[in-house]
Amino acid sequence: MKTIANIAFRNLSRQKKRTFLLGGAIAFGVMIVTLINGFAGAFSANVSENFSHLLAGHVFISGAEKSGDNDVSVIRDDAALTAAVAESGIPVEYLTRRSEFSGTLIFEGMKIRTSVAGVELEKESYLQDRLMLKAGSWKAAADPRAIILSEKIAERLNVDVGDRMLVQMQTVTGQNNVGEFVLAGISYDTGIFGQMLSYAGMAYVNELLGLAPGEYQTMGIMLDSIKTTEGAANAIYAKLAASVSVFARGERDESGSMTPFQALIRQQNNEEWTGVKYRMFTINEILSQVEQIVTALDTAAGVILVVLFIIIMVGIANTFSMVMFERIREIGTMRAIGVQRSGVRSMFLFEALYLAVGGAVAGIAVALLVMAGLSLIDFGMNSPAFLILKNGHLSFFLPPLRALVNILIIALLTLLAVSRPAGAAARLEPAVALRTQK
Amino acid sequence: MKRFLMLFILALAAFGAAFAQDVNKILAELDDLGDFGGKDFSAVYTIVSQKPGEKDSVTQVRMFRRDFKDQFTMVILLPEVNKGQGYLREEDNVWFYDPTSRKFSFSSIKENIQNSEAKNSDLTRQSLVEDYETVGVQDGMLGKFPVWIIQLKARTTDVSYERLTMHVRKDRTMLLKQEAYSVSGRLMRTTLFPKYVDLGGKLMPSQILIIDELNPGERSQLTMTEQSVSTLPDRVFTKAFIEQVNK
Repeated sequence: MKTIANIAFRNLSRQKKRTFLLGGAIAFGVMIVTLINGFAGAFSANVSENFSHLLAGHVFISGAEKSGDNDVSVIRDDAALTAAVAESGIPVEYLTRRSEFSGTLIFEGMKIRTSVAGVELEKESYLQDRLMLKAGSWKAAADPRAIILSEKIAERLNVDVGDRMLVQMQTVTGQNNVGEFVLAGISYDTGIFGQMLSYAGMAYVNELLGLAPGEYQTMGIMLDSIKTTEGAANAIYAKLAASVSVFARGERDESGSMTPFQALIRQQNNEEWTGVKYRMFTINEILSQVEQIVTALDTAAGVILVVLFIIIMVGIANTFSMVMFERIREIGTMRAIGVQRSGVRSMFLFEALYLAVGGAVAGIAVALLVMAGLSLIDFGMNSPAFLILKNGHLSFFLPPLRALVNILIIALLTLLAVSRPAGAAARLEPAVALRTQK
Repeated sequence: MKRFLMLFILALAAFGAAFAQDVNKILAELDDLGDFGGKDFSAVYTIVSQKPGEKDSVTQVRMFRRDFKDQFTMVILLPEVNKGQGYLREEDNVWFYDPTSRKFSFSSIKENIQNSEAKNSDLTRQSLVEDYETVGVQDGMLGKFPVWIIQLKARTTDVSYERLTMHVRKDRTMLLKQEAYSVSGRLMRTTLFPKYVDLGGKLMPSQILIIDELNPGERSQLTMTEQSVSTLPDRVFTKAFIEQVNK
């Protein structure tokens, strides 16, 4: 068998140009698929990490208080919450406190609906690191009525730094309210999520919402790593449940139509309680639909792999049919000196295997080089695609098992494509093969 | 001197109490005008909304009210694209029906009707006496009519507006103008009631003009037609009715 394997290897090296083209075709297909797999592998982590910075946390706690017929979103006293976080013993980078409303910004006849997050601007220094300002300054954001808008919103409202605008919104109990903001800064546009990025001082947002100073709506817990999110959430939840009233953690709807976060809200709507009850949710629960995008990307990569290789396999099958015809007298000679049919078949299959594995390994190697090259490009934190970037760079993660599975699939498909010409070569009668004229 | 001061304060308090009683009576009369008590009420409201730079939009709704049970059903007739949508109030719950998804979802009487300046609460019974307290009253003129200008502050957070200023005709209790203020005290909208009709002994505004004070040029005009106080079947105030009404 070793001799047959050696002959197969020598046959490939005899036809370098052909081997290079066939292997190159396989390598190209593998490279494309590997790039998609690598992108999908990092997509989920990047989106979650970037979202966690936008929402200022990996784990979140919010309060809901029954007030008449309304559920008021409020945390009035967070001593029990901070104690639960401390007692859980999890490493926390920082805690954030936020209030938020959805309202209509009005400026000189123009208006646009947006979410305004009330943040402790003086404390959330990391926000100043993440949110790049195109115009204005963080110093101007010290104004109690300051607001930071994204480029897109500022453009649609036609506002400049220093302009005063109205905001029409509702208090936590649903009453109409109107406030006045002064534009302190314009942040770089971040694509489809641009409208999420309006920030104002929490004191004024609280005043508009009808919350008292010191109260807020959501506590964000930023961990040292997103990978520890679920474990940390479980630990905090256990401590929290022991000291305050909490809703059960949201579970994924079996039909898949709701995220765990949506399931949690629906469950809350069906419950009766008194005082403030807390709900806990994680960035993964909010973004669980990102997993579906990753699955879709991987499925697309799988389909591309199969389609590409069906095309390449047809080419390989035809090439090996020609190879068999080219070597028909050689095969006849081998058979005449005692090489068995299985030996001839094995020789062809070995050639195919070498091509497949060599091409696949080369493809993965090229893909890794391309990934390394692409990840060197700095798109900046103001890129429209920043949510899928890691610190402004494209990033890739190729799970080793997926690379191995790809190699295996390609090897099997190539062997399948070559099995027919290999079988035909094995079935050749030595005498017939020797007298065949090319 | 002290005795004079005491007498003055007592007189002022007595006058204030009598005056507050009068104002409460006016508010109760206004509540009574908008309350059909044991009778049902139905009407078609046509809402023409104007926005600068946009074509006027027309919304038409058929409203059914049973005030003594705190029920209403509202069915959208126009625009064609929203036809079949509806609202149902059962006590404190307001449901919105979307015929596309065939599902009901929670809504609120504080919601605007379609894209207009009018809110669901504009077409339903309100209780000024229960929801608001009087914080100021003065005489005034509105056009050629002498009016009471009554300033109200919300007792509850269940109402859309924290403060109202009502211009009520003196010679016959009729609300002519209402200004609604935000929690922060900013004028948000002005509502004018230029036309009334007598319906079963009650004066109902047949034309309402709502002016958006935050967005200059935006206004909605409501016109009431086909008003009736005939008894309505019970099934009108059910989800099944809204589901079937436009099939």
